[in-house]
Amino acid sequence: MKPAPFAYAAPRSVEEAAALLAEHGGDARLLAGGQSLVPMLNFRLLEPALLVDINRIAGLDGIAEIAGGLRLGALVRHRMLETSPLIASRFPIIAAAMAEVAHLAIRNRGTIGGSLAHADPAAELPLLALLLEARITAVSTQGRRVIAASDFFTAALTTALAPDEILTEIELPDPPAGSGWGFAELARRAGDFALAAVGVIIAEAGGICRTARIAMAGVGPTPLRAPAAEALLQGGTLDTGAIAAASRAAAAAAQPADDLHASAAYRRHLVEVLTRGALSAAVARARKVVP
Amino acid sequence: MREELRPKLVGARVKRVEDPRLLTGQGSFADDYRPAGMVHVALLRSAYPHARLLRIDTAAARSMAGVVAVFTGDELAEAARPMVATSKMKDYRATAMPMLARGKVRYVGEPVAAVVAASRYIAEDAARRINVDYAPLPAASDPLRAAEASAPLLHEEVRSNIVLSREFARGDAAAAMAAAPLRVGARFRFRRKAVLALENRCYLGDYHRGRRELTLYSATQVPGIVRDALSELMAMPEHLIRVVAADVGGGFGGKASVYPEELLVAVLARRLGRPVKYASDRLEDLLSTSQAFDEIVDAELGVANDGTIAALTAEVVGDVGAYSIYPWTAALEPVQVVSFLPGPYRMPNYRGRVRGVATPKAPLGPYRGVGRPVAAFVMERLIDMAARRLGIDPLAMRRQNFVAAEEFPYRTGSGIIWDRAGFAECLTAVRVALDYDALRRWQKEARAAGRWIGIGFASYAELTGIGSKIPAAPGMPVNTGTETATLRIDPSGSVTAIFGVASHGQGLETTLAQVVADELGVRLEDVRIVQGDTAGRAYTTGTYASRSAVLAGGAGKLAAAALREKVLRAAAHLLEAHVDDLVAEGSRVAIRGTDRSLSFREIARSVYLQFGRMPPELQEELEATKLYDPQFGTTSSATHAAVVEIDPETFDVRVLRYVVAEDCGRVINPMIVDGQVHGGVAQGIGAALLEELVYDGEGQLLSGSLMDYLVPSAAEIPPMEVIHIEAESPTTLGGFRGMGEGGTIGAPAAIANAVTDALAPLGIEVTELPVTPERLYRLVEAARRKE
Ligand SMILES: Cc1cc2nc3c(=O)[nH]c(=O)nc-3n(C[C@H](O)[C@H](O)[C@H](O)COP(=O)(O)OP(=O)(O)OC[C@H]3O[C@@H](n4cnc5c(N)ncnc54)[C@H](O)[C@@H]3O)c2cc1C
Repeated sequence: MKPAPFAYAAPRSVEEAAALLAEHGGDARLLAGGQSLVPMLNFRLLEPALLVDINRIAGLDGIAEIAGGLRLGALVRHRMLETSPLIASRFPIIAAAMAEVAHLAIRNRGTIGGSLAHADPAAELPLLALLLEARITAVSTQGRRVIAASDFFTAALTTALAPDEILTEIELPDPPAGSGWGFAELARRAGDFALAAVGVIIAEAGGICRTARIAMAGVGPTPLRAPAAEALLQGGTLDTGAIAAASRAAAAAAQPADDLHASAAYRRHLVEVLTRGALSAAVARARKVVP
Repeated sequence: MREELRPKLVGARVKRVEDPRLLTGQGSFADDYRPAGMVHVALLRSAYPHARLLRIDTAAARSMAGVVAVFTGDELAEAARPMVATSKMKDYRATAMPMLARGKVRYVGEPVAAVVAASRYIAEDAARRINVDYAPLPAASDPLRAAEASAPLLHEEVRSNIVLSREFARGDAAAAMAAAPLRVGARFRFRRKAVLALENRCYLGDYHRGRRELTLYSATQVPGIVRDALSELMAMPEHLIRVVAADVGGGFGGKASVYPEELLVAVLARRLGRPVKYASDRLEDLLSTSQAFDEIVDAELGVANDGTIAALTAEVVGDVGAYSIYPWTAALEPVQVVSFLPGPYRMPNYRGRVRGVATPKAPLGPYRGVGRPVAAFVMERLIDMAARRLGIDPLAMRRQNFVAAEEFPYRTGSGIIWDRAGFAECLTAVRVALDYDALRRWQKEARAAGRWIGIGFASYAELTGIGSKIPAAPGMPVNTGTETATLRIDPSGSVTAIFGVASHGQGLETTLAQVVADELGVRLEDVRIVQGDTAGRAYTTGTYASRSAVLAGGAGKLAAAALREKVLRAAAHLLEAHVDDLVAEGSRVAIRGTDRSLSFREIARSVYLQFGRMPPELQEELEATKLYDPQFGTTSSATHAAVVEIDPETFDVRVLRYVVAEDCGRVINPMIVDGQVHGGVAQGIGAALLEELVYDGEGQLLSGSLMDYLVPSAAEIPPMEVIHIEAESPTTLGGFRGMGEGGTIGAPAAIANAVTDALAPLGIEVTELPVTPERLYRLVEAARRKE
């Protein structure tokens, strides 16, 4: 369980890092928190010739307010998301979900950029990016582009990033005023990747649901939205009947597969249960029944 | 103060003397030894479950910079004999385990070639450049399929994959079963489990060419067995071989066997004349360390209407993997299931049959509890099934069928003898600790509120501290029933106590020091325990089978008593007093009732430094060696209780509460006993809810890393209450009983019963472990379809 030989570089700027990627093409890999990359190196699932360590690039670990949202640097650690007062007040769903990610030691290292770029189908941050309609900035020597979360996750462990692109930041637009959120997942043990996870955002006005977003993870090659389920809720009242119907629709939208830990059928069942729980919690929060 | 009233170390919560070393990173584990010139081994392991080895091309690997040598099985054929675990058991067919595969491979992960290089990195790089032509052979991974006559054979020479079978019988089980008013039964399945010690296996061979001496530093529980094996397999006299197991990071049975890699580093060190290290990584550990359980048990219990057990029958198929583990044999685990199945209960009629089937998987071996976790799972489930059908409380049903106080010693259905033990006392203590009636009332209310709460029990008995009259494994030719202690006092008055046991986390340096210090009359800090090293012992095995406190404790007591006599004799001369008037205490010998005394140091200095002045009959070293043999062994027992909650929608299981009342006789150190129970129960909870080695139909390991093989973490383990019942053992010196394994024996059964109890409204019986959310989902779906 030793990695194959590799060279190592620790650039001080995004430009330098981008230049290294451009030079080495697919033979180079960015190293952020290392919590997913290093195990893959040790398993020899990846044998890059060069590791480009971005941890020494200044300015990539900020959480900043921007008009109508927040901007997060790629090196923001899971633990920062979990504990930041700004996140707690603007995106409490992120703080809540981070508590379910791995263990403290891993959360201290793991980064939002690494999690999104790694694109594990069961990971929480990709689910949240999709749910919160994040805009993801990628930089290369060719320039910069912004990718919508809905276009970002293309297959299991695969994203729209080109091999020479660096994810530098993520913008999160504020959810509609007065909205409520819910997040629910089931993992085999504390800190394990979820068998299924569901995040929801809903907003009501005058007893009518104006916004409904449902995203799920662990039940498809990428995180998924459940548009049919969302449509069922939008424009209606958020009663138990509607929630149950939307949960069934979310389960129908899941694309789970059998694996060692759970069958597709059980995962689909979980999506329904978790969606129901998350929607109920979101409604209660929107109605200020719970914080 | 009267001697009997002196505060004793035995029974006290003495802090572990090894902990400061271990907790500050100053331990010496096998991997910590780095002698000059050391080289590293990486193994190329088979990717095929069953295949013929056609050609192994090592040229590219050999030519890499930093590579010292590359070996295949054929190239080392003359270097050592293959390991063959023999047994006197009638229907056992011995098979050979090669050091490196020859001719064919029999499981995924079997060592095929060894690369020796300057670093493990280079060795791994080179191993990847070895090309092997495999001709895949058909394989039957499912044990029931492998048992069929038409199944492809793993070991052609024994002409069957059924490599062992045995039957135990008492009374007329068939007739009693037919006559029983109530019969409950099922096919039970306990899936394959990894042993998973924190420290992976690691071996370092160091051969001194000038002296022709071999030292093996090994992460082993059984340095003595390893030394004997190396001597035989490498044709070297034992006085040239030393096996050192200084600090070992957990064993649980997985380090109780002799491994091919262990023999390999010894062979390579001798051949290359350089220190050679092999350190397993976690992937290799999961692939190749001996594995546990994996039995299919068709069992039936016949019961009278009043709950009295009339008969038990069981057919066991054990999946023993590809090789018969050395020296315990493939029979160890599955045969023990059948021999312990009747448990602590009166069992007038019993028939238990077992077959061990070879499959293309890593070998099955000893694991904490050996056979008994599976036996307890089956028996305790049957008791609950019967109790439920009869409307009898599960605790009452157990109590009613326990071997009663006046029936000890009691011969069980399989011939094991229970000496006097606290079966009923443990059960009562658990009942009281739980406030059982109130707990059941709470459960009823919780159920009414929609919560799925279950309460489950398990009672078991095990044989520990086994003496020389019974082999630790069926028919095994190795004597595991004796232990020898040598105690010596040096001129500084300090005590060295040398044992053959090999602590791998149990705290034997503390508990044995407590026993020795009490018996000798010295302070704890004046005793140094030497263990885990064959250098000091003519014959020894190691630590396994809950034997060390009983056997080494007994030997330590005997040797300490003999040494105390010597010290008192010398002191009597020096103090001009009568021996009977002397008392040894706190490292001093005093004349009772006076203020005249000498320290052990003063006595020892007189003996050694003024030897000429001692009378001839006292001219002897302050040293004593005693062997202890408990002959048969002693009964340890416990009742476990688990309270679980199942999420009615996700089927996630939480253990809310866990209570153990255990009887290990005289407790040497309650803190250490608590720790052993906690760890054992944690492993048992893992076995019940999480841990499963999954092989596909072809024999590929699917749960090959800790991402997929799930062990419980602190978050999954509830706080535990442990109650010690100290029923005196009539059969062992000091009244000690073994207690290293019990936690793992009781917990899976208790959890299985608790989960079943939680599901009682749905009529579900848990018959398969681990009981995962996925399995619960399927059970609940099936039950709801039936409704
Ligand atoms: C035991 C364990 C349990 C875990 N459990 C969970 C869990 O429950 N949920 C969960 O979501 N995650 C879990 N993780 C994963 C963890 O959150 C990782 O930290 C995260 O997925 C990757 O982040 P990283 O910063 O460590 O990335 P790295 O490991 O450094 O990199 C991962 C990949 O992303 C690429 N990359 C990194 N940064 C960038 C960037 N800025 N631009 C472009 N590419 C980049 C790397 O080249 C690499 O390919 C677990 C990890 C472990 C070890």
